[in-house]
Amino acid sequence: MKEKEIKIDYKEQQLILYAEKEDDSIGPILSGSYMAKNHLADFHQIWGSLEKELFAKIVNREISPIVRFKELEELTTAELASRTGIPKRRVRRHLSHRHFMKARVEELQKYADVFNIPVANLFQVVSTKQDGTWNMGYNEKAAKKMALTISQELTENPLLVITNPEKNKA
Amino acid sequence: MIDFKHSMAAHCESGTLTNLLNHKGLEISEPLVFGISSGIFFGYMKTPMREFPTIFSRIRPGKILDNFSKNTGVVFLKKKYSDPDKAEKELDSLLEQNIPVGLQVDFFFMDFFPPWHRVHINVHYIVVIGKEGDHYIVSDAYHPTIARLHRDSLRKGRFARGSMAPKGLMFYPVEIPEQIPMEKGIRQGMKKTVFNMLKIPMPFLGVKGIRRFGDKISDWPAYAKNEEQLAHNIFMITTMLEDQGTGGAGFRYIYASFLEETATFLKDPVFKEYAKRMMEIGDDWRNISLFASRIAKQRDLGKDKLKELGSLIHSNADQEFSFFSDLRKSF
Repeated sequence: MKEKEIKIDYKEQQLILYAEKEDDSIGPILSGSYMAKNHLADFHQIWGSLEKELFAKIVNREISPIVRFKELEELTTAELASRTGIPKRRVRRHLSHRHFMKARVEELQKYADVFNIPVANLFQVVSTKQDGTWNMGYNEKAAKKMALTISQELTENPLLVITNPEKNKA
Repeated sequence: MIDFKHSMAAHCESGTLTNLLNHKGLEISEPLVFGISSGIFFGYMKTPMREFPTIFSRIRPGKILDNFSKNTGVVFLKKKYSDPDKAEKELDSLLEQNIPVGLQVDFFFMDFFPPWHRVHINVHYIVVIGKEGDHYIVSDAYHPTIARLHRDSLRKGRFARGSMAPKGLMFYPVEIPEQIPMEKGIRQGMKKTVFNMLKIPMPFLGVKGIRRFGDKISDWPAYAKNEEQLAHNIFMITTMLEDQGTGGAGFRYIYASFLEETATFLKDPVFKEYAKRMMEIGDDWRNISLFASRIAKQRDLGKDKLKELGSLIHSNADQEFSFFSDLRKSF
């Protein structure tokens, strides 16, 4: 494909593509991501509705909070078991509310490490600044419009997290 | 911080390797590294690790490094660790000696990328070029600029568990021969590529893998919990074919560039013709990905549309079969 046909103007996510240059040679060009430019809104919409659906199920005690992060980070039960080192059968049980209630703190810590969240976030849903790095469905533009954001600061103790409300500048 | 020339690349492993080799004094392009190491490939797999089938259009992660070393004689030091403290200590020691170090990491923990971009993939490659306090200075071939990464995030990325876990892998070139047998390397790379695409005895790899992808795409609704999830995974085809990582069209374009450079190295203009043909194949992959994104966006994901997508994929399988069969005759 010719350089001018393939090149996408999108500074937020850039990548290198090889294309036919004007002199007919093939070489690298810096382009924007086609997916990010054209389908980021679709991505947020799909993720937003998935999050809502999972949240409702947690509230109704149909699933455990582990499912929320597992689905948002697109991990299968087998992959989650492999990443946490917890047997697959046990992970499958922890996906239900009933068995999640019996999970050990040590196991919850392993899940939290894989999801890259503080353990505390398995028991609460907070819209935090750090969700920008933890939450696949986070929308930075929407978060910036909020009057208040909350940040969480990890401590040396993996079970303890400091939560700070912060007023956004107008 | 080491004086290291950061360059973006189309693919993280070949890009990382190219940047490390350039730093060590070997001027080489990413397409040449990619071609010599037989980077181009295709596979279609359904594993318990993913809910949906996966497509990939590059060889197994780590093989670019191994194949390049084998075909050119460049010696790399490769080391894995079980102890994260020891891994960090040795990395710091190499940085103190001004040696840039390649690392395998889980892409999810590279938090200098936006959150929607990051997924758990254990086969991302970066170069670490310095340390300032608790932050490492990172040259990531997918990032436009040099980035900073907290040591905790790097540690999590290096020691993530799961499929293809990095196990702290680090690597860097230690010896580059004075005379690299470039022609021989190119021919060996092409030979292996042709074998991988046409002869590998697995029904889901090479051109057979493309055909399987075309056959099975209409079964994808069976894996989905709902239409949204199906749409997301059809979008993922576009991501895999269009954007970096497993780029189908993108990798075909790099290979075309490799063939163009081959024409110069081997002084044989026939490879220019092959380069043009490979560009056309890349264009067709691009059309497939645009078609996939269109039907996913419109949620037009009925059996007929998926079959239409399957037939486009089959047509590309035919083209790649013909291309690699012809390429085989050229050496």
